Amino acid sequence: MHAVRNIRLCTKDCLCLYVCPTGATDTESGQIDATKCISGCRACVDACPSHAIFLIPDEYPLQQKKTNDVEKALLTLSESKTRQEQLALTIIKTSDDPIVRQLAQALSMSNRLLAEDVLREAGYMLPQSQNVKDFLQSLLDTPQPEDFPIEIVEKLLNIL
Amino acid sequence: MKKYICPICSFTYDEAVGIEEENIKRETKWEDIPSEWVCPLCATNRVDFLEEKSDIKLNEQVSFSKEDEANTLRVLSIEEMSALCSNLSKGCEKQYRDEEANLFKQLSEYFKNKGDFTKDATFSDLSNFLQKDLDTNYKNAKNVITKSNDRGALRALVWGEKVTRILSSVINRYDKKKNELLENTNIYVCEICGFVYIGEKAPKICPVCKVPNMKIAQVKRR
Repeated sequence: MHAVRNIRLCTKDCLCLYVCPTGATDTESGQIDATKCISGCRACVDACPSHAIFLIPDEYPLQQKKTNDVEKALLTLSESKTRQEQLALTIIKTSDDPIVRQLAQALSMSNRLLAEDVLREAGYMLPQSQNVKDFLQSLLDTPQPEDFPIEIVEKLLNIL
Repeated sequence: MKKYICPICSFTYDEAVGIEEENIKRETKWEDIPSEWVCPLCATNRVDFLEEKSDIKLNEQVSFSKEDEANTLRVLSIEEMSALCSNLSKGCEKQYRDEEANLFKQLSEYFKNKGDFTKDATFSDLSNFLQKDLDTNYKNAKNVITKSNDRGALRALVWGEKVTRILSSVINRYDKKKNELLENTNIYVCEICGFVYIGEKAPKICPVCKVPNMKIAQVKRR
């Protein structure tokens, strides 16, 4: 567990500078130096008056198992939501009425969020989970168009 | 004193409290609110509101056939892959993994550009999907997920169904009023749950997921 700073909450009280035993909080990047941070120390977390620092786990829990029919029910919804998003995006592209495009934009954003939420609950909550790795690997194992960014997928599989 | 709930967005009118912003005084009886009054969050008509004690029946039992259950899971569509990757990007951001967040974002954009833009698209096409979600898909999903006791998934369904009702109501309103619906006002989307609001100013908190309005974005006209 090492400390990170939510820069939106940080009010530059700088108490973390005084209490950190290693100087990990003393950086110009706005973030805490993970290589100097002592795992589980939390001195800065407790000192911060703005609650801007917290610990994040080095290892996350395993992805919760989803039953086949739960996954299926959620994927039925993700299919519907993404098709609605695609319709809205098509309206944005083809309409020359600014108000129509504005409404379609709102609908596309909303449907994207709805689709994201059900997919996340369908077994893709954690980016470092096996499900996500299997998904990425499947992209490499199946034929892709010429312009497919293989290097991005390989990089992700490498660092996740 | 009674309470009345909007069937679309769950806004609650409490006779004991009234609505200060609309100059409806405390202890104003439901019957005394003008019939042209509409829900301040989603413009549902007053007559459609339900008294709080009434049971809203949502859990109709619809189940998958055995044959459906035996099917193996399908491969995600290009559009779904885009949504999956944009959500994984958000997940990485929350873990302060900026590099991964950025890579997933690029992948999401790649898939987004590959979406199918060739089909005709109208708001009434969207309406048909929304109706099917409300009539069938959410009921099926609720049935299956309630049995499995999956809290996270159930939460997504509760919010998703509310937002879907609201989208359906927005399109119906647009159908009636056309551009007049948006001409002299603003439209907002909650960046957490997808709630859509039409009005001058965004509500203080999202009525669906309760996030403060710093997460409710205005959609500009371009």
